[in-house]
Amino acid sequence: MSAWLEYKKVKRTGFIPLFLIGGILSAAVPVTNMVFRAEMYIGMSGTPVQILLGANWQLMAMFNVLVIVTGTCLLYHIEYDNNSIQKLKSLPIHEGQVFLGKAVLVVMMYLVALVTEAAAVIFCSIHWFVTGDGFWTELCQNFVYMFIIGLPCIALSLMVSEACKNMWISLGIGVICVFMASILPEEPFFLSLFPFSMPFKILAGTEHAVIYIYASAAWIAVTSLAELVFIKIRRSLE
Amino acid sequence: MNFLSLLGVEYKKIKRSKIFLILFTAAFILWIPSVINSALNFNMQAEGISPENNFFIQGFMAMSWFMFPACMVVVTALLNQTERTNNGIIKMLSLPASRFKLNIAKFVVMLSLAAVQILIMAAVYYASAAIASIMQDYNFILPPLFVVKETIFIFLSVIPMSAFFWMCSVCIQSPVFSVGIGLASIVPSVLLINTEAWFAYPMSYPFFVVTSEYGRLAVNLETAQIELMPWIPVAVLITIICLGISCLCFGRAVSK
Repeated sequence: MSAWLEYKKVKRTGFIPLFLIGGILSAAVPVTNMVFRAEMYIGMSGTPVQILLGANWQLMAMFNVLVIVTGTCLLYHIEYDNNSIQKLKSLPIHEGQVFLGKAVLVVMMYLVALVTEAAAVIFCSIHWFVTGDGFWTELCQNFVYMFIIGLPCIALSLMVSEACKNMWISLGIGVICVFMASILPEEPFFLSLFPFSMPFKILAGTEHAVIYIYASAAWIAVTSLAELVFIKIRRSLE
Repeated sequence: MNFLSLLGVEYKKIKRSKIFLILFTAAFILWIPSVINSALNFNMQAEGISPENNFFIQGFMAMSWFMFPACMVVVTALLNQTERTNNGIIKMLSLPASRFKLNIAKFVVMLSLAAVQILIMAAVYYASAAIASIMQDYNFILPPLFVVKETIFIFLSVIPMSAFFWMCSVCIQSPVFSVGIGLASIVPSVLLINTEAWFAYPMSYPFFVVTSEYGRLAVNLETAQIELMPWIPVAVLITIICLGISCLCFGRAVSK
């Protein structure tokens, strides 16, 4: 219900096209790479999904994360703009529910972007590579994994945008976090559990896949708790 | 109102915006991994670059590929959204000031924030180079003349890109699109600097300037070098076109 209302609110803000265009741009990365440099990848060892994601996922994930940061900023910006947040707070619904509605909306749109990207990977695999028996299972496993480890990034950046009244501050924090993710070293391992670095990880070749999934669940639990505490504190201060 | 007083007004508006905090945090965070991993600078014999040059160039490369352009996008959001909230822009447009001048004043503020960002960057560089020098017992500090020359060059290379971001934020009313286009346009620059047509893409200029400097400092590394022709005329043309379009669009949607 709440997510549907949120969908109605963002209808004319460009939020939906943002995710669609972001997904298409990201999907264009492997296709463009294959069009120009197919001979570099065709001879490589590994399955098509492994090769394609290994070569392109960093850039593709960059688009995803930037779209998430911009989209989440917008979701609370439309509430703070013209003070509609005050009306929202006076409604007989918990603020956490509003947050959840917005989060569900972003998650759905993230899913749409991922499906677009998966379609591009399928196209490249069929067109340039020979797909084996386990292709579809591997593809699904990879994208479900990426979906799960992308969730903490959504939760955290939505929380930042709720906490900051001004759009540029939440955007600035988001941009700094994305940048941090791009420069954080792989060692020590716990640094790669930073929510904004997790969407850049791929399933192939990692021994820590299970840890990332647990970490993702832990981040979501921590963010939800922090969100509830944050709402309580902010209410008591107002 | 003359241009200088308009400029003064614009600076007053961003006084309490906390933008400096964001610019500082960005520059500060950038250098932390460089200082922690400063020992790695000694393993660059294959490229033939000295440790102190590598320390400097790696930090500035990280900044110019994503951090600096992204901060400029945030600055455009700041300059436009402060006035759109509560319709402050309507009051500004009703003043006896030319829209053209108002637009240019805002752009100048944007450029000065870019200058502030790169100055903070250079200052934090010196601080972190000093810390790294103590940690590794090796002098990482480069002569100020070289650093100043590089920062000025990077700043100049950012102007066409800033003009493009500014045009996007003025012409596109929805903040999500102007910011989205700005951020998304940064990502391909990493691919485009390796092509012949890099000079046609203003978002890749700062990164190109730093990578070409990297190639110059590293003896065994070949990177594309800057050729002023046709870069300078194209860059000037892009800046003029972007600023011209932004002047034409400025305030148009509101006054309708």
